[in-house]
Amino acid sequence: MTARDGFVQILRGEWTKFRSVRSTAWCVLLGAGLMVLLSALVAAGSTTDANDEPAEPIIADQFHFVHQPMVGDGTLVARVSSQQDTGPWARAGIMIKQSTQPRSRYAAVMVTPGHGVRLQADFTTDLAGSATKAPRWLRLTRAGNVITGYEGDGTTWTEVGSVTLDTLPRTAEVGLFVTSPSTAERVVRRAGGTSVGPDWRLGTATFDNVSLAPASGARPGTWRNDDVGGPVQQVDGTPLAGSATEAGGTFTVRGAGDIAAQPPSPGGDNDTVRDALSGIYIGLIAIVTLGVLFATSEYKTGLIRSTFAASPRRGRVLVAKALVLGVSTFATGLVASLAAFLVAQPIQRGNGFRPPAYPTASLSDGPVLRAVVGSALVLAVLALIGLGLGTILHRSAGSITIVIALVVVPSIVGSLLPIRVETWIQRLTPLAGLAIQQTRTDRFDTYIAPWAGFGVLCAYAAVVLGAAFWLLRRRDA
Amino acid sequence: MRLAIRAEWTKLRTVRSTGWLVLALVGGTVATGALATYSVDTSLCATARSCDEDTVRLSLLGTYLGQVAVVVLAALTVTTEYETRLIRLTLTADPRRMRVLAAKAAVVTAIVLAAAAVSVLGSLAAARGILPGNGFTAANGYPPLSLADGPTARAYGGTVLYFGLIGLLSLGVGVAVRHTAAALSIVLSVLFVAPIAAVFLADSRARDLVLTYSPMTAGLAIQATRRLGELPIGPWSGLGVLAGYAAGAMLLGAVVFAVRDA
Repeated sequence: MTARDGFVQILRGEWTKFRSVRSTAWCVLLGAGLMVLLSALVAAGSTTDANDEPAEPIIADQFHFVHQPMVGDGTLVARVSSQQDTGPWARAGIMIKQSTQPRSRYAAVMVTPGHGVRLQADFTTDLAGSATKAPRWLRLTRAGNVITGYEGDGTTWTEVGSVTLDTLPRTAEVGLFVTSPSTAERVVRRAGGTSVGPDWRLGTATFDNVSLAPASGARPGTWRNDDVGGPVQQVDGTPLAGSATEAGGTFTVRGAGDIAAQPPSPGGDNDTVRDALSGIYIGLIAIVTLGVLFATSEYKTGLIRSTFAASPRRGRVLVAKALVLGVSTFATGLVASLAAFLVAQPIQRGNGFRPPAYPTASLSDGPVLRAVVGSALVLAVLALIGLGLGTILHRSAGSITIVIALVVVPSIVGSLLPIRVETWIQRLTPLAGLAIQQTRTDRFDTYIAPWAGFGVLCAYAAVVLGAAFWLLRRRDA
Repeated sequence: MRLAIRAEWTKLRTVRSTGWLVLALVGGTVATGALATYSVDTSLCATARSCDEDTVRLSLLGTYLGQVAVVVLAALTVTTEYETRLIRLTLTADPRRMRVLAAKAAVVTAIVLAAAAVSVLGSLAAARGILPGNGFTAANGYPPLSLADGPTARAYGGTVLYFGLIGLLSLGVGVAVRHTAAALSIVLSVLFVAPIAAVFLADSRARDLVLTYSPMTAGLAIQATRRLGELPIGPWSGLGVLAGYAAGAMLLGAVVFAVRDA
């Protein structure tokens, strides 16, 4: 008998033991069944109105405005002496606006940290001036309904552009403004729910040499200041109010928000494929149990001694067990994840997750296929971790507990902690393997790349199985 | 009954796993709670006050891990008897099965409650040491955690009861299925399915429904001390839901125990 024949025999022996135990059937049914069930439950309990949103652009109009009314024509001059860089599109400049009502008409000339001097009007007009940053002189003149913006270095003026605001009333608000769009997301967790929204930061700019000259020769009035569009609100509801102070002709203005027409968002935020496969979190408990029992039940019944008497090369027995378990749990997992995907998808579609906001996920897309097949791979590797722990500990209770403590508990505790903490929990625990279910890379909870995460899980499996292999050869059965 | 309890106590305390599990319960709860508390500070919020962090609940996050040890401890008290066939000897010595079950329940509950009290007090002590350093100071609206405060005492005391009820739930399932791996797999799935589903459910109505009627999430409502109005279920009614599950499992276990051959 050659060595290869011997291994095939061991393999067949392990397969017979595996398939003829009643608990195998229970674990397979429970694992696959619970996975599909939880996926269907999650799909049924998730609705979206992503497709009901209006197609026209959303107009943002929030900034801090130091203003006074100007009757008729006139000129406003100011120098932006400094601007804090809170993002490429932070804006500091001078503006003429129909009123302090948000979404009323306006024209403004401004400096930005990343896009030079701009003349913007009515949310959609955007003319580029020079690529200069603060300090910069700015000038805005009104002649009838024509507003012209200039920039300069204090001695010469260059026209940035001019716009016509045909319904601008005779009395309009003119003044200094500062705003700063958010450049990051803020994630807030409360009472088990997670809210995601823009992370607002106040931008600061200083102005000097401010002079307002109405053509009528009237004396300029006093400056007032307001958060146009109300103070911006952080996602946790905290308002972030702007401010303005004046000392010796220098104005320090702070504000946050955006003045722009934002195109409607191209799609929804949910990773529907991952949601459809979320049942894996419960399915894995039964699959891990299967792996653990495959090792421990032989120790409990004493069968392991006969096994080792029949094939004294214990390492090969473990390899054979791992092969039988890995292949069969992968097959089970593949059936379960395909079923979960196919059951959940129509439910999701019925709950609003449909094109155009949510294009239909197809198994022919690389990431979708990776998620479905990857889920089966994750289940197989977790089963192998169970097998390794069972071989090391000889006890099913301890082995199951350790896997639950490493995989299920961190996923829940992590979801209750700040995102910065959860990121490391998701990267360092075997939970990282579930990153293989991601099909979107633009969500706040993409903690680790799909295959890198799977690699972390495999590293755990390698350590556990390596220890099991080593101990098996050294210890008595 | 006293003899039955003494017998069960002897069986439980002389098994090596009991000591390990009590250690895992206390250590897991306190360490996880302390790490979670350490990882959250007010600098993550716009202002310290706007954090509105439920520091009591935060300090008790270790419950999620500690309860796994309780589930194992309680299930093992019966399933190992079946697996070693000791149960036949037990029932020969004391044929009144309900008395045996009651004695088991009493001993498990007593051990779990005692270990849980230590765990909870350890979590409280750890949080009191850690919180002020992370910005949760009285000046920011977070007075030091104290059991003299009604809701805080309810949260900590209720958590001890929570552990006790989880023990009974697991014991009942253990008696009913008589198999360690099966009992653990079933109890842990039932417990953890809801909090995991809650992470993924996008619909708040569906999420509230799941959180209200599943044993772990309902029972852990007892730990909330802030924004009680946002809870899908009140603290005591939540613990009541868990008690219902525990009673159901014990009833099932009792029926199976009385009817089926050992």
